[in-house]
Amino acid sequence: MNLWKLVPGQLMTTAIPVAILCLTASVQLLAGTIPPNLQEREEARIEMLSRISPSVVCVMAADGNGGGSGVLISADGYAISNYHVTSGSGAFLKCGLNDGRLYDAVIVGIDPTGDVALIKMLGRTDFPFATPGNSDTVQVGDEVVALGNPFLLASDFTPTVTYGIVSGVNRYQYPAGTFLEYTDCIQIDASINPGNSGGPLFDIQGRWIGINGRASFEKRGRVNAGAAYAISVRQVLLFVEHLKCGLIADHGIADFTVQTASNGKVLVNEVSEVSEAWRRGLRPQAELLTFAGRTISSANDFQNILGIFPDGTRVPLEWRDKSGLHSGTIRLRPLHAFRKAPELPQDRKQPQPGDPAADEQAQVADVPAELQALFEERDGFANYYFNRIRQEQILDRLRTAVGNTTGESQSWVIQMTETPKAQAAGEPATWELVAGEAGSGLSSAGRDWYQPSDNPTPDNEPSQFAGLLSATIQWHRLLTLRIAAFDEVVAQGQLTHLPSNLPGSILQTQQGPCICRWYFKADQPMPFAVDVEYAQGVDEVRIQFKDWVAEEGTFRPSQIGIVSPQTEELTWLTVTKFQLRKAAPKPAAASLPTSGRISVADIAELTGTGDAE
Amino acid sequence: MTQTSFSNMFDKFCSLQTGRAVYSNCCLNCWPVILMTALIVILTSPLGQAGHANAFAARAQESSLPQVVSSGQDVVVKLFGAGVGNLDSYGSGVLVSSEGHVLTVWNHLINVGYLTAVTSSGKRYSVRVMGTSKDHDVALLKLQNDNGDVFPFISLADIQEAEPGTSVLAFSNMFHVATGNEPVSVVHGTVAAKTPLSAGQGRWKFPLKSEVLIVDSVTNNSGAAGGLLTNLQGRPVGLIGREIRHLDSQTWVNYAVPLTTLKPVVETLLEGKRVESQTAGEDKRPRITDRQLTVRFGITMLPDVVERTPAYIDAVSRRSPAEAAGLRRGDLIVLIDDDIVTSVTDFQQHLAARRPGQKISVTVSRGQQLISIDLKVP
Repeated sequence: MNLWKLVPGQLMTTAIPVAILCLTASVQLLAGTIPPNLQEREEARIEMLSRISPSVVCVMAADGNGGGSGVLISADGYAISNYHVTSGSGAFLKCGLNDGRLYDAVIVGIDPTGDVALIKMLGRTDFPFATPGNSDTVQVGDEVVALGNPFLLASDFTPTVTYGIVSGVNRYQYPAGTFLEYTDCIQIDASINPGNSGGPLFDIQGRWIGINGRASFEKRGRVNAGAAYAISVRQVLLFVEHLKCGLIADHGIADFTVQTASNGKVLVNEVSEVSEAWRRGLRPQAELLTFAGRTISSANDFQNILGIFPDGTRVPLEWRDKSGLHSGTIRLRPLHAFRKAPELPQDRKQPQPGDPAADEQAQVADVPAELQALFEERDGFANYYFNRIRQEQILDRLRTAVGNTTGESQSWVIQMTETPKAQAAGEPATWELVAGEAGSGLSSAGRDWYQPSDNPTPDNEPSQFAGLLSATIQWHRLLTLRIAAFDEVVAQGQLTHLPSNLPGSILQTQQGPCICRWYFKADQPMPFAVDVEYAQGVDEVRIQFKDWVAEEGTFRPSQIGIVSPQTEELTWLTVTKFQLRKAAPKPAAASLPTSGRISVADIAELTGTGDAE
Repeated sequence: MTQTSFSNMFDKFCSLQTGRAVYSNCCLNCWPVILMTALIVILTSPLGQAGHANAFAARAQESSLPQVVSSGQDVVVKLFGAGVGNLDSYGSGVLVSSEGHVLTVWNHLINVGYLTAVTSSGKRYSVRVMGTSKDHDVALLKLQNDNGDVFPFISLADIQEAEPGTSVLAFSNMFHVATGNEPVSVVHGTVAAKTPLSAGQGRWKFPLKSEVLIVDSVTNNSGAAGGLLTNLQGRPVGLIGREIRHLDSQTWVNYAVPLTTLKPVVETLLEGKRVESQTAGEDKRPRITDRQLTVRFGITMLPDVVERTPAYIDAVSRRSPAEAAGLRRGDLIVLIDDDIVTSVTDFQQHLAARRPGQKISVTVSRGQQLISIDLKVP
């Protein structure tokens, strides 16, 4: 065969003979050499493509300009795209599906660091949507299909399909500036071109495994060169609830750095001395073995796995030093804490004709009122409307369960017995926990601790359960529905709770320096856990609640579990008696002592409970 | 095998023909145009890709592709050296012996002198150049190790022919996506043609006269040169070539040199023997004399005593153009403009091709750095 394929000038003369040869040849070759299941496979692939195509979105600015791709993930119209596709389009977008129809859409949440955006398409409750697969089990060599809108080819929004294989997994692609960083992504050789951005990557069974957002372009211009990158569906799903809360989602930092040593070991380089990692005992020169459940064999591995988690995630880690093997968990701290959606670097901007500012003005003017109602601008949020709605959902469930407490002040006295661990000798310890608006107190074995709510200090906390009293003040505040008394309330998406390993919707409350993350299971009114950062530079207190029961007109847990920050072990306290005392609200007792020990009886008196036995 | 995948393409072609027939009713005389259009569509459109994917998928199923892929990834090393301008500082190589011999393309990376290889296990090795063949554009390297490390490698006995239609996998360090212990990238494709290649880069012309494999996917990216082409059974078939353009069409060429062609060359180099160049023509190029070099430029080169004496500057005359430009004793001349300088002779030939007054850029390797120096030809 000659080089006719590469030389356009020769095509005219050679194409026809070759084509005719093909026709003859095909008849001969069809007999016998085709694998027996080829037709079956082809039919399966056609079926798969017709099944997944309806979920693929053509994403455009509200004026129909620009253009990228996206994928629907739920029947109520949530769709994922790239941040670099939606950025610059304003709050409202137009989206096309392969039914040929154009839908209005509103921006919901953005993750500029991970280059992900969530939009909500409107006008249907039965949108077709993609089913996620497991991007962790994707192997190099697996067949994949990429769907999207390259070169904005389809005027009827029918997605273009390109086929390829997985070229690499766990790839890292450097950020553009400080964001649009692709960590732990999937490298593919399916053709990805401008316009494919934000579109879905599927495995050959039609399971959604990634979002195509980036490609290596070089000498050949901005067209496919056989190396494109998809954000893993695992990362997208770790952020999707954050995005549904209308947040500018953030990624995390670990407060320590690592480097790959010449012997191939991954050694800790620097550790912040005020970090949780330092308090767990992690020091420079320690060998990092695992992080977030992944074996770390290079500094790149560490950067890769760190990059897929939202800020605030608690992750386990294991390391080795001279004294042996160690493990612990740390909470990732914010990387950027964006207050505004960041501007894209110039070379990553989607082409937007006309003056963008003027266009935006025009868009907003054209948007119908019902659509406008779905967007609320606020610092730190992509769309505060969706955060407010999530907060209200969580708090409404709580209100319905607890009932109306307005206009009354309640105090609690909770008697608890330590749930004996195996082989524990002697009588189990008993505790009495008291909580009221003015503060909280704890008493056990003749010792008392008291924490006032107006000026709490870590010194007042019991050594065995440091932070419990501060946490109890917040717990009491939430359950007596004094929501307005918090400085800030934000729905913070979803985090996996440790050590239970359960996902929880997060309601984050802040009062002064005290930050609580309340974990709610779907549709449950009461939280199953709370993590409380009650002071700077000390470990947070992490509490689990088991089996809430209605008693005395409120809810109390049957058991309270307190996590040891050193060992991650839970100490369970079983509630043996719960008393609630209601009184007319009275001003916080300004005369309360802020230090020194006082008796539980005093506390009960001061917090308005009265009888403390 | 070859027939299978081709027949699928033809199958697609036939169905396209049927589709087009509807239109030919109203344009009976234009069938050759339609036929040609259809062919072009096959070659360029997603439908053509689909036909190709079809074949690939069927073939991929015959053996477990992820398994084949991981063994392919293990025998390819990532090379890191020095680059400048359009020339990359990274490349690929294929292990051809358990002692760590690596076959790669003989490009600028090899000439600069310091080169590191990283295996799929993440281990780093310094590299020695064992031998080269100009006619085949290959170099044989050896990973330096005192520990008696045993490497995975391709056996020369396993090498197979590839023909047009053979489905292939291309393993390489393209775009240096993979670092440390990360496995190299793999892309899939089909051998589209087997043909002599007329291609080049700057003044450099692809030297091999025999046939190369043309692949229908983008295999020859930055850093891919020296990567491995296998068939779907994982048997080695080709060494991925450079990133170069076809001389007539100026299109980028995705080619690999058949390992059947390279096998005798590798065997000769492994024995420690030299591969004699069959093309003597190039050495007949005019060269600037030693005396002119000293008088005009102020440069004295290392005495040209062996074949391919590296282009080291032995002395720079006081107040000469070379000194003014910043050249120093000990500099190794690597490039003139974009042309690779392979020896003292080569350097003198390059200079002879430049007119006085012409501005040139001389890239030298000094210490562990590449430095570009602008110079006006005196």
